[in-house]
Amino acid sequence: MKCFHFTEMPYPYVPAEAEDEHRGLKYFMPNRYYDPARGYELYQRYLDEYELADELGFDLMVNEHHQSASTLHVSATLSAASVLSRTRRGRVLVLGTPLPHRESPVRVAEEIAYLDAISAGRINCGFVRGVQGETYPSNQNPVHNMDMFFEAHDLIKEAWTRHDVFSWEGRFYHYRYVSVWPRPYQQPHPPIWVSGTTRKLVEWTARHGYTLCNLLGTYEDTAKSFRLYRRTAMEAGLGEPSPDKLAYLAFCHVAPTEEQARQSGEKLMWYLKQGRLRLGAISPPGYSSTAAAVAALRGKLGEVRKYSFERLVDEGIMLVGTPDTVTKQIQRLYDETGVGNLILMNQAGEMTSNEVRDSLSLFSREVLPAVAPIGRQWRDDDTTWRVDSDSRPVESVLASALS
Amino acid sequence: MTEVSAGTAQRLLFLHDADVVDGQVGALAELATMIDVEVPRHPGFGSADDELAEEWDSVADLAQHYLHALDRDGRTGQIHLAGAGFGAWIALEMAVRAPRRWATLVLVAPYGVKLFGPTDREFADILLLDPSEVVELGWADPAACRELRMPGFPPGLEDPEYERAFADREALARFAWKPFMHDPRLRRWLHVVDVATLVVSGDRDRLVTPEHSRALAELLPRARYVEIPGAGHYPYLERPGEFVEAVAHFVGADRKTGAST
Repeated sequence: MKCFHFTEMPYPYVPAEAEDEHRGLKYFMPNRYYDPARGYELYQRYLDEYELADELGFDLMVNEHHQSASTLHVSATLSAASVLSRTRRGRVLVLGTPLPHRESPVRVAEEIAYLDAISAGRINCGFVRGVQGETYPSNQNPVHNMDMFFEAHDLIKEAWTRHDVFSWEGRFYHYRYVSVWPRPYQQPHPPIWVSGTTRKLVEWTARHGYTLCNLLGTYEDTAKSFRLYRRTAMEAGLGEPSPDKLAYLAFCHVAPTEEQARQSGEKLMWYLKQGRLRLGAISPPGYSSTAAAVAALRGKLGEVRKYSFERLVDEGIMLVGTPDTVTKQIQRLYDETGVGNLILMNQAGEMTSNEVRDSLSLFSREVLPAVAPIGRQWRDDDTTWRVDSDSRPVESVLASALS
Repeated sequence: MTEVSAGTAQRLLFLHDADVVDGQVGALAELATMIDVEVPRHPGFGSADDELAEEWDSVADLAQHYLHALDRDGRTGQIHLAGAGFGAWIALEMAVRAPRRWATLVLVAPYGVKLFGPTDREFADILLLDPSEVVELGWADPAACRELRMPGFPPGLEDPEYERAFADREALARFAWKPFMHDPRLRRWLHVVDVATLVVSGDRDRLVTPEHSRALAELLPRARYVEIPGAGHYPYLERPGEFVEAVAHFVGADRKTGAST
């Protein structure tokens, strides 16, 4: 099991009244609530935590959101550059660049290639559609989100692998001369990761042999999504995917006692606070099927936000407890889903840097070595998720990613 | 006296707005007793041409579609062209492409033309706002709201009704997401619309303000501007009597019933 450290770099100082007035912290938050001096301190603090995590043996993950107090990462590639320059060892997972929201896929190809080139190939390259609400900061048409994602990907891959000047006159992107310098250090290109639950996207990811990441799904939903991935990969003749092709993002906090762990771990729930985003932001026109839009209307989307702390632990979304407890939770996660990469959201909201550092250190001493061997001999493991022993039907899951 | 240029045309093509239910709603039913009123459902909004429209991405596509349909059906004579809101935008796009085809042009609170500065929000964000907000901004008396369908509005409908409303919003986004509810190319051709034009606005419209509609009328060569008191964005729904009076007179339909001025 590989473990990635992740923080969304939240800005936790927005007054409650402002949060209420603007229906949450995201997309429509006036920047008068951002204090430049406090922001600087936060950036240094979060980057220090990435540096420590790297020293302690974690791999590292960065993302991006926009116009949001819940995330100060504004560009996953910029954040990756910052983290790369602070660290020496860990892989840096860029998860991800929201392709439909970026004006230029060629620019994305350049930036990822640059990151890979300066780090001798420490980059894992994640591509995402961007969650629903991101539609408004970028103002890209949500109707075309999925098709733009696919076309941008095709163009980027061409730019990395064609090794000659080419032209691209597609539906959404138009270039007469493309030949990206530098080429990525990892050839033909860095490993590609994709997060999402939409059936079409999961199948596409599986057929390309890319790593699929589930964010904050329940054990059951994650297993369903991975089942669809495995079946599709098999049908595409790619053989049975190893756990390394699957990733899962969970909250995480470890402490010497269960009480201490819970006391700090509960602060992670800040991330799940229910905003009051308008339906148009939760479900922008054409972003998903009309059936999924009606499900959103009926309040069936983002149910995880309503879970109690206990339920979050029971569902595998919250890995919180003593090192022994969390090791068992991770083992269960593997047993039920066959996941091989774990992205740990080790910080949220008002959690202090000391809390994060203590948890990272303890996790590194006691959990990392214990979970490292999990999944290495996956073909010998007696599991329910191996293709041969899993006859359950493929079912779609509602998006678990939070808008 | 009005500027009716061709009182002999006996057909009115009315292009519907976003979020409005299908058919001869509100004042249109009464107008239909005086003149042939056709209210086609736009491709993408629950019409037979929905599939065709999946590849379209601009209001120009819709204008082209309607112009072609008139040709295809051999309807080459002049007709009255009318539209409300989003439909008025389509009508304007048709008018700049074929100004000679229209006996008159009636535009109710049109989207489609951006008139003021980049930070002036001229059109309410009907693709983001909740239905309650659209009603609040779009009606002089929100309690009187009727004939609208939006995702989750009115409450208490079955899933398929809301799926239809989401599909309509998807179509609207396909045509009008960016630039939002307007096309910068349209403004530069308004001077060619040499057609007797009536621009109608409700005095309480806060989706497309009366100031906007009035300023747009000033850019059209032969336009007259009329404001209907006590109406919001949908004067043909909220003040049908006043709307019929203004429009029937303008297109000369009242002659048919003998109510001459």
